[in-house]
Amino acid sequence: MTDLSSTPSNSLLTEDKRTKKRNAAERRFRAFGLGAILVSCLMLVILLISIVSNGASSFKQTYMAFPVTISQEEFDAAEGSILKTGAYNKMLQSALTEYLTTNDLLGDATEDDVKNMISGEAAADVRRLLLANAAVIGTEIDFNLLANGRIDGYFKGRVTRETAALDTKITGAQLDLADRMTEDGSMVTRFNWSFFTNPDASVQRPEAAGLGVAILGSLYMMAVVLCLALPIGVAASIYLEEFAKKNWLTDVIEVNIANLAAVPSIVYGILGLAIFINFAELHQSSPLVGGLVLTLMTLPTIIISTRAALKSIPPSIRDAALGVGASKMQSVFHHVLPLAAPGILTGTIIGLAQALGETAPLLLIGMVAFVKEYPAAYSPELGLFGEASTALPVQIFNWTTRSDPAFVERASGAIITLLVFLLMMNALAIFLRKKFERRW
Amino acid sequence: MKDINLAERAVTMNDIKIAAKGVQVYYADTHAIKDVNVEIEDKTVTAFIGPSGCGKSTFLRTLNRMNDTIDICRVEGDIRIDGEDIYDPKVDPVQLRAKVGMVFQKPNPFPKSIYDNVAYGPKIHGLARNKADLDEIVEKALRRGAIWDEVKDRLHAPGTGLSGGQQQRLCIARAVATEPEVLLMDEPCSALDPIATAQVEELIDELRQSYSVVIVTHSMQQAARVSQKTAFFHLGNLVEFGETDKIFTNPEDPRTESYISGRIG
Repeated sequence: MTDLSSTPSNSLLTEDKRTKKRNAAERRFRAFGLGAILVSCLMLVILLISIVSNGASSFKQTYMAFPVTISQEEFDAAEGSILKTGAYNKMLQSALTEYLTTNDLLGDATEDDVKNMISGEAAADVRRLLLANAAVIGTEIDFNLLANGRIDGYFKGRVTRETAALDTKITGAQLDLADRMTEDGSMVTRFNWSFFTNPDASVQRPEAAGLGVAILGSLYMMAVVLCLALPIGVAASIYLEEFAKKNWLTDVIEVNIANLAAVPSIVYGILGLAIFINFAELHQSSPLVGGLVLTLMTLPTIIISTRAALKSIPPSIRDAALGVGASKMQSVFHHVLPLAAPGILTGTIIGLAQALGETAPLLLIGMVAFVKEYPAAYSPELGLFGEASTALPVQIFNWTTRSDPAFVERASGAIITLLVFLLMMNALAIFLRKKFERRW
Repeated sequence: MKDINLAERAVTMNDIKIAAKGVQVYYADTHAIKDVNVEIEDKTVTAFIGPSGCGKSTFLRTLNRMNDTIDICRVEGDIRIDGEDIYDPKVDPVQLRAKVGMVFQKPNPFPKSIYDNVAYGPKIHGLARNKADLDEIVEKALRRGAIWDEVKDRLHAPGTGLSGGQQQRLCIARAVATEPEVLLMDEPCSALDPIATAQVEELIDELRQSYSVVIVTHSMQQAARVSQKTAFFHLGNLVEFGETDKIFTNPEDPRTESYISGRIG
């Protein structure tokens, strides 16, 4: 008989060797996991901080407010000249000089200093206003005009007096003038709506550059992708998953779809260039071609996620429908598809988000061009979505290649905008999934 | 006593509803059902018993062509319902399944309301001309499924929110809503507790008044309780088919005897 009171050799109160080893392994694994999470969070934080610190200022813009009177004669003369905006520029300069002299703000600024305070884009804005609204000619108008990019940079901390001393495009006197105008209230920095509505601007005028055309182009492309990729992708997956016989052919198709999802996106760009532009002779740089290329790229993603969503519906639901005499199609459309809808929607939105951020294929089909005109959704000559356009990621790429640091700020602002769009799409995906999720 | 019973049953012999001759089923290279001949009577409960993997569920699913959904499955032989060959190329399995309803092992209500669960079959088969008709069909089916009193106040609550036994009776109500002539049940009580099982068994006995019921079961007690005829399957063969009483008390085949007494299975 064993003595129960003495501690047995295999006591539960002490860890044996094997248990110790196993516990240590588990602790190590947990530490690795935690470390991985921390590293990726850190990277994300660094990324966000660097983008936001660079780009947040692009949502603000410096404007000058002073009264301008343009008489009918001046208007006619300007419209009659060859360099029309140049003539308007002169009028604005003299109006600004007059304003500064009357308010005793001029100080030691020279005529050239005053001239360069105003953005080159301002004259074009004024001309557009006068052409659209002839009634204001001859009256005194309080214009809100874009200040030069360097002046704008001064208020955002990008330009300092030290850098101004080395810069041929800005002088200390101009910065003094800017300070005096700010005190006077005729120079203000306010929210930059035109960043979202303006088209791109030339390299000389970063202050006027906006995302309008890029957002519109991306929107058109998303419309094309949604209208083509969703029905084609869902129909293909339903057929493959529910109707097609399982044989070597469907196996080959399945493997190929999985491979297509991993094909580098630039390959789709080359394909689009060869098929849509060279063969089908669609217009290059158009959102239609961009949308078609992105559709090709997004299809595998949508098909794979839709098939996964369909697979996750228990076969008992199909049996139940067939058991009461539903046809195959009825069982799919009445029962399986509604249950799979949240998964399909999520997959589609993730696919769209991926397409929204894609740059490489668009470079190959000419969407990298400088586009100043807003593309119309439909035009008689170029057809639906046929007018040249650009896209958000391409605009970012474009701006980062320009030398003026003001464009770095713009590019970061565009990245923030793109990220906000992606975030909104992902939030929508989560919302839809939660809303339509049903239990069984 | 037993003999008198048997004699009585012989007298009240019903018409043959389903006649299967020389049925073979193959899953790719596996010969799952080997030359089964069976005649299933109208207004009778026929039980299929046998050890796991003996082919009783497979055979049941050949009776409404649910095996068609499995690509690798191949059925040979002759199965006739009311004298019509159900594997004739002219037969649409959808029409067949409206005539031969099925209840599955696991309760599988649609993730819809109780009402919609029952109304779905009549709707797709065009059995109701208007809403009032449909309401009537749904109520009748739920009454037949012996679940009306429990759900009449919450017809628009989700069917998946019911208890397991209620779900299974809902599935039976759904199956009878399309006015089938044959009701196939694939282990309908295997996921239910004893009380729910008793309710479903009682229901099966009532359904016998209107339908020919074929039930696959693992429980020999259940077969003995609910069925009039029993078929014993073993390794894809139909070993013995006859009156339930006789199978359980005086089986002819030694394999049946071994299974019933618990030596194989």
